[in-house]
Amino acid sequence: MYLAIGAGIAVLTGVGAGVGIGIATGRATEAIARQPEAASDIRSNLLLGSALAEATAIYGFVIGLAVIILK
Amino acid sequence: MSDIQTIMTSKLQNEVAFTIPALGGIPVAESVLVSWILMALIMAAVFLTTRKLKPDHPGRVQAAVEAAVGFLNRFSRENIGVHWRSFAPWLGTVAVYIACANLSGILGLVPPTKDLSVTAALALTSVFLIYGSSFRFLGLRGGLHKFAEPMPLLLPINVMEIAIRPLSLCMRLFGNVLGAFVIMELIKALVPVVVPVAFSLYFDIFDGIIQTIVFVFLTALFTGEALEGAT
Repeated sequence: MYLAIGAGIAVLTGVGAGVGIGIATGRATEAIARQPEAASDIRSNLLLGSALAEATAIYGFVIGLAVIILK
Repeated sequence: MSDIQTIMTSKLQNEVAFTIPALGGIPVAESVLVSWILMALIMAAVFLTTRKLKPDHPGRVQAAVEAAVGFLNRFSRENIGVHWRSFAPWLGTVAVYIACANLSGILGLVPPTKDLSVTAALALTSVFLIYGSSFRFLGLRGGLHKFAEPMPLLLPINVMEIAIRPLSLCMRLFGNVLGAFVIMELIKALVPVVVPVAFSLYFDIFDGIIQTIVFVFLTALFTGEALEGAT
């Protein structure tokens, strides 16, 4: 019971990652609309930022798994 | 609760495919076996597509292979800089392996990247490449000086990154593939027909390709950063 609650709390890190990636993608889209010639630079920066932001969600997921499996 | 626990535990375990009957039995993990199958397929594809190459009248296959190699070379030149030539083959090899490993879930195989040992090995090779290249091209002094950039105050953080970078690369790939695998197994257990196909498109194909790009891109970016200022 408590394990499930703990795992659920750990997976809440996904909220931050979702908001972060959403903001980054929105801004990147705006930037590409304003300056289409810089699209490839913006895309690679967006990919890097999203990968780093997503890592927090992955850490939460791995901790959630560890809580359930390792008890 | 205990149901989920048993399902998750059984999915997380890396099964031993068979045991080599030598030296008291060497266990061969499933991920290693699948890796061997993928390696055989990749080698066969490489052999078939690079036979009878013609410099002046390229066939359809040769044109496609040349376009792929050109893309890889351009990618590494943009991200690594002047010394890109020695890194392009390694980046390409890792990209092809991770892509095939992530996509092998479609064929019903267990993706090798679901095994933490595989992603840890890939991340360790990446980190050796990053710091090794820094010492190789900048010399011992230059390589050590890299840790004090952009200012000496950041030395502890730069030293910590030696451990954080492989951990983050390893966990990112492992977590994504494992998460996709667990979700796919749960969906298959709930609805065995039609529905898994739609989810498989996202989790197996889209996510697999994205994670491949992210791994190779981050490695190339870190290497380029480690080589900054090299002539």
